[in-house]
Amino acid sequence: MEDLWTGRLSEYLDDELSSDDRRGLESHLAGCDACRETLAELRGVVSRAGALPARPPAADLWRGIAPRLDRRGSVTAFTPQVHRRFSFTLPQLVAAGLALMVMSGGGVWVLNNGGRATSLPPLAANTDPNVVPAAIADPHYDEAIADLEQALQAGRSQLDPGTIKVLEANLAAIDAAIEQSRQALATDPANVYLNSHLADARQRKLALLRRAAALVNRG
Amino acid sequence: MEALALVSPVQSVSAAEPSRTVARAAGGDVSAFEDLYRTHLPRVHSLVRRMTGGRDADELTQDIFVRIWQKLGTFRGDSSFTTWMHRLAVNVVIERFRSEQTRRARLHDGEAIFETLAGRMETPDLGMDFETALEKLPDGAREIFVLHDVEGYKHHEIATLLDISAGTSKAQLHRARMMLRKHLK
Repeated sequence: MEDLWTGRLSEYLDDELSSDDRRGLESHLAGCDACRETLAELRGVVSRAGALPARPPAADLWRGIAPRLDRRGSVTAFTPQVHRRFSFTLPQLVAAGLALMVMSGGGVWVLNNGGRATSLPPLAANTDPNVVPAAIADPHYDEAIADLEQALQAGRSQLDPGTIKVLEANLAAIDAAIEQSRQALATDPANVYLNSHLADARQRKLALLRRAAALVNRG
Repeated sequence: MEALALVSPVQSVSAAEPSRTVARAAGGDVSAFEDLYRTHLPRVHSLVRRMTGGRDADELTQDIFVRIWQKLGTFRGDSSFTTWMHRLAVNVVIERFRSEQTRRARLHDGEAIFETLAGRMETPDLGMDFETALEKLPDGAREIFVLHDVEGYKHHEIATLLDISAGTSKAQLHRARMMLRKHLK
């Protein structure tokens, strides 16, 4: 048997009734055994739900997950370009770093000298709608970079000197690009190209450090 | 680890995240990601199993962990890793429902199903445990019950997630509770 107030018992339990309704329901409860019993049962359901134990599946699911990680790793999810870069040879990496530095400097120079900034495409436009460009002042980004640099420093001995040399050259090129963008943005903070360029360079740095940290971890 | 052995509202999870493990996994370290998988599997699988009523729970759980791997690079630490991961898991489950294009039909059909099921559950099988009874709830009501009473979501959050009104969420929750109260033994 349900009465007018039975349908409000969950709201009462969840403290979602107005003060007037709450008083009305409490007054009703004082004289209705059935509603008091139902309320106690509902309270038991809520309590039970909150204490349900987590149970693992009957079978381990990792075997169906692991093979899918190699080709769709978090690094590739961050920016699709990173995936291609990993197949480059060391000389190609050096060339890419130098090219990035030259193009960054050139782009910023053109902007600073009145060039048509909007006619220049971003160096590597991010096509992944899930990627949120890093803000200029982003403590989480800085923290992630610091963590990765620390991990890389700790595992430096596991990498061969040639790899370290290339890595440092690329990081230096990216840092130079970041610094140039920052300086240019100081005088033109609303420039879309510069902001895009800075965000792209920062993402490149993060991706490169992540890749390096993964190499260390695998080593 | 032990703190994660019991399902409780997401907001109450207080265990400090192994941020180093998360960072290593985000860096592409598969073994670190496997550690995260082993730690969180019971909770994620339980969430999926309860929300779906057990249908395709293993496959969906695998999809969720692959998605977590793909999205780890976007985790910025604004919330705890557990909270972030569970939000992602819930979204994957809801996406699956939506891809079946049955969400609204199920929520509306739930009205009729409720009456049928309520009648059936008026004389409950006392041998049926709480989890089994939960699986037998109509899809829409079960999802809302799991999100609210098991995972700790608020009605306005559920309304946004499921694209329904907060009032619908409250009504379905109450009906789910009313049916489940007979299965507390």
